[in-house]
Amino acid sequence: MDYGVITFTSTYGAIYAQKVLKGVAPVQVMPVLREISLGCGIAVRFNPEDLEGVKAALAASTLKEGEYAFYAITGSGKDLTAQPL
Amino acid sequence: MAYLVDARGKPCPTPVIMAKKAMAEGHETFTVLVDNPTAVENLKRLADNQGFTVSVREDGGTFALDFAKGEGCAACEEAVNSPLPAAGGDWAVFVGRDIIGDGDRELGTNLMRMFFYTLAQGEDKPGAVLFMNAGVKLPTLDEQVADHLKALSDAGTEILVCGTCLNFYGIADQLKVGTVSNMYDIVTRMQKAGKVISL
Repeated sequence: MDYGVITFTSTYGAIYAQKVLKGVAPVQVMPVLREISLGCGIAVRFNPEDLEGVKAALAASTLKEGEYAFYAITGSGKDLTAQPL
Repeated sequence: MAYLVDARGKPCPTPVIMAKKAMAEGHETFTVLVDNPTAVENLKRLADNQGFTVSVREDGGTFALDFAKGEGCAACEEAVNSPLPAAGGDWAVFVGRDIIGDGDRELGTNLMRMFFYTLAQGEDKPGAVLFMNAGVKLPTLDEQVADHLKALSDAGTEILVCGTCLNFYGIADQLKVGTVSNMYDIVTRMQKAGKVISL
């Protein structure tokens, strides 16, 4: 995976998750990839090495399972693949 | 002795206007005195755009800029007058605020970050991105947007940031990417762009 992406079922979740992850891992906000149908328009991008830390931080937050999903992104452009994690 | 333009103590953009007047009057060599680094940068760009060479001397907080009309050559003139760098497209983005749209600030901040993420990832990059008013908070205070602007800049997009606005908000020393600019340069980029997208 080149980088990880978290999608959310609500915009509030996406904004809240950024606050949860502040100080946990460097993240960027990005539009949800066309290759991923699920979710609101806002996604959070993180570096592969931070996967476990990010997962743990979200699990410990008030976000419920099912309100967000993880994807591993590899490649770009036409060769981009998004693998659910 | 060369013609002297004393623009010390004059606010932006007066030094540039005074130097332009000297050019319009036909002076091929002249010296401009200013007392702040922003004016020096603006005058240097004026010299570049108008085919002048310029050298800067500093003495106790006063900067003396010696202007000299460059050797005229058709290729130089063409390069100076060409609209935008070839790497960027023939279009510009004007950013007059730090969020996208009206409404919730947090949502607007996210939308702005996603806008620049998408712009930096895409193939069709603008020739210039122009920041004014609260828009100047993006290349200074917003780390994510600054990262995307660096990527755009590396790909040939010009990033121009209003110096008056940076000073107004007291964040001129926090500029992470881009060139401190002025109304003349920003308006010129707009006039020469095939289209300008305003945010």
